[in-house]
Amino acid sequence: MRLRTWSFCLSEANQNLLRNPVLAIASITTTAVSLLVLGMFLLLTANVNQITSNIENQVAVRAFFKQSTKTAQEQSALAEVRKWPKVRSAKIITRQEALRQLKSEFGDQASVLNSLGTANPLEDSLSVTAKSPADVAPLAKSLGNLTGVVKVSYQSQVVTRLFSLINAIRIVGLGIGILLLLGALLVINNAIRLGIVSRRREIAIMRLVGATESLVHWPFILEGLILGLIGSVLAAVIAWWGYAALYTGAAHSLPFVPLVTPIPTARDVAVLIVVLGVLLGAVGFRLSVRRLARV
Amino acid sequence: MISLRNVGKAFPNGVVALRDVDLEISKGEFAFLVGPSGAGKSTLLRLLFREDVPTTGVVSVNGHDVGRMRRRQIPFLRRQIGVVFQDFRLLPQRTVTENIAFALRVVEVHPKEIKRRVAQVLDLVGLPDRAGALPGQLSGGEQQRVALARAMVGRPLVLLADEPTGNLDPVNAAEMMKTLLEINRLGTTVVMATHAAHLVDRARQRVVAMVDGQIRRDELAASYSEGVVE
Repeated sequence: MRLRTWSFCLSEANQNLLRNPVLAIASITTTAVSLLVLGMFLLLTANVNQITSNIENQVAVRAFFKQSTKTAQEQSALAEVRKWPKVRSAKIITRQEALRQLKSEFGDQASVLNSLGTANPLEDSLSVTAKSPADVAPLAKSLGNLTGVVKVSYQSQVVTRLFSLINAIRIVGLGIGILLLLGALLVINNAIRLGIVSRRREIAIMRLVGATESLVHWPFILEGLILGLIGSVLAAVIAWWGYAALYTGAAHSLPFVPLVTPIPTARDVAVLIVVLGVLLGAVGFRLSVRRLARV
Repeated sequence: MISLRNVGKAFPNGVVALRDVDLEISKGEFAFLVGPSGAGKSTLLRLLFREDVPTTGVVSVNGHDVGRMRRRQIPFLRRQIGVVFQDFRLLPQRTVTENIAFALRVVEVHPKEIKRRVAQVLDLVGLPDRAGALPGQLSGGEQQRVALARAMVGRPLVLLADEPTGNLDPVNAAEMMKTLLEINRLGTTVVMATHAAHLVDRARQRVVAMVDGQIRRDELAASYSEGVVE
C-alpha cells in the first residue's frame, strides 16, 4: 500500500478510537494492568530465584560426632560421605573451629564464653551440602546411620516450607497474569468489534467501490495494535521505573538482601511487556475477523 | 458487456429468486429491469457485482466469470461497476466531496486526480455548489445525485441502479432519469431496476420484464407494460 493509504487507515483507526473513547480507555487500562501484574510477578520470580539459589547453597546438614570419636574414624566417614551421589561438598568442622565460629557469631558479647575457661563443650562435626534441596532430608537420614554420629541437624521445615511457598507464589502469579491477559484480550476484541459494528456503513461502501480486503482490515488491525501498544508501554514504563526505584531504595535500607539489578532484568521484562501488548492487539483483531467478514 | 446463461439462484431458505435466466446486454446499452416486487430484479443485479453468487449457470461481466471469480479479484470487478441503491447509502458524517472522494481514496487514486474527478462528476450530476454540505443538509434528490456521483467517479464500464428513484418525488425522479440517460449517452452501460412506469414509458429504451424469477419479455424501445402502444 502507498504511504497515503497507510495514513488513511491510521486516521480511520483513530476515528474508531475517538468514537468510543470509554472503550478505548478501558482497553488500554486493562491491558496496562494485566501486563503490569504479569511484569511484577516476573520481577518477583527473578528475585525469588536469586534468593533461593543463595539459600540452596547455604543449606548444610551438620552431623555431630561423639566426643570420644577418633580423628581417623572421622576422616574415613568424610571420605565415604564424599562418595555419595547426593553430596555437593562435605568437610569436617573441629570443635576448636566450632568454638571460634560461635565466638565470632556472638561478636561483642563473646565475653560470656570466657566463663567456659579452657573447656570446650562442643563436638566435632561433619558439614555436608546437598546437590538439590530435595536431597537434604534423605541425606540427613543417611548421615544419622554413620558410626560415631550422635545427632544430625538441618533447617528442614523452614527450607521445605520456603520452597513450597515460593512455588505457590510463582504458580498463582502466573495464573493471575494469564487470567488478566485473557481479560485484556476480551476487552480489546470488544473494542474492535464495536468499531466494526459502528463502521459497517463505511465497510460496506468500501467493499462496494472496490477496496481490497486488506484495506478493509488494516484500520482495525491498527486499532488493535494502538490499544495494545499504548497499554503495554504504560505498563512497561511503570514496571521499569518502579523496579529501579525499589532497587535503589532497597540498596539503602536492606543492603543484605541482594535484589536482581534493573538492567538487564527490569529492562527485559519491559521489552517483553511491550511485545506481549502488541501481540494482544494483533490477537484481539484476529478474533474479530469473522465478524468483519459478516458485515 | 453483461451476459447471463441458464442462471438460477436459490437461497438456503428454499426461496428460488431466479430460474433459468438468459440475458445479453451489450456495451453502451441502456436496459430497464421491470416487474413486481420479488420478481428477482435485485437478485439479478446483485449477481452482477458479486454481492451474491448464482446457484447454477454463468454470469459474466466484461468477460469475467463473476460467479467463479476468486475472492481477491472481486475488488477489481467492482472498480468497473458503479452501483446506486434506493436508500442512497451515504456516510452521514462526511461532506458531499468526502463521500465521493472516499470511493477513490480506497482504491489509491492520487489526491490531485481525486480533486479533479470529484469536480467533474459533481458537474455531471448537477451539484457543484453543494460540495461542502453534509448528506443530512441535502434533499432526497440531491442525496441520490451524490450517490450517483460516487458510483460514477471511478469511471465504471457498467452502472447498476436498483430502484434509484424509489425514494424520490416525481420532479427529482425525472431529473435522476435524465442524468442516467445522459450517463448512458456518454458511453456507460446502464442497467436500472425500477417500478416507475411513467419513466420507463417516456425513455423508450430496452425493457426486460421479470416475473417469478424468469424473464417474460425483452423488447427494445419498449414500455413498462406489455402491449402498450403510443
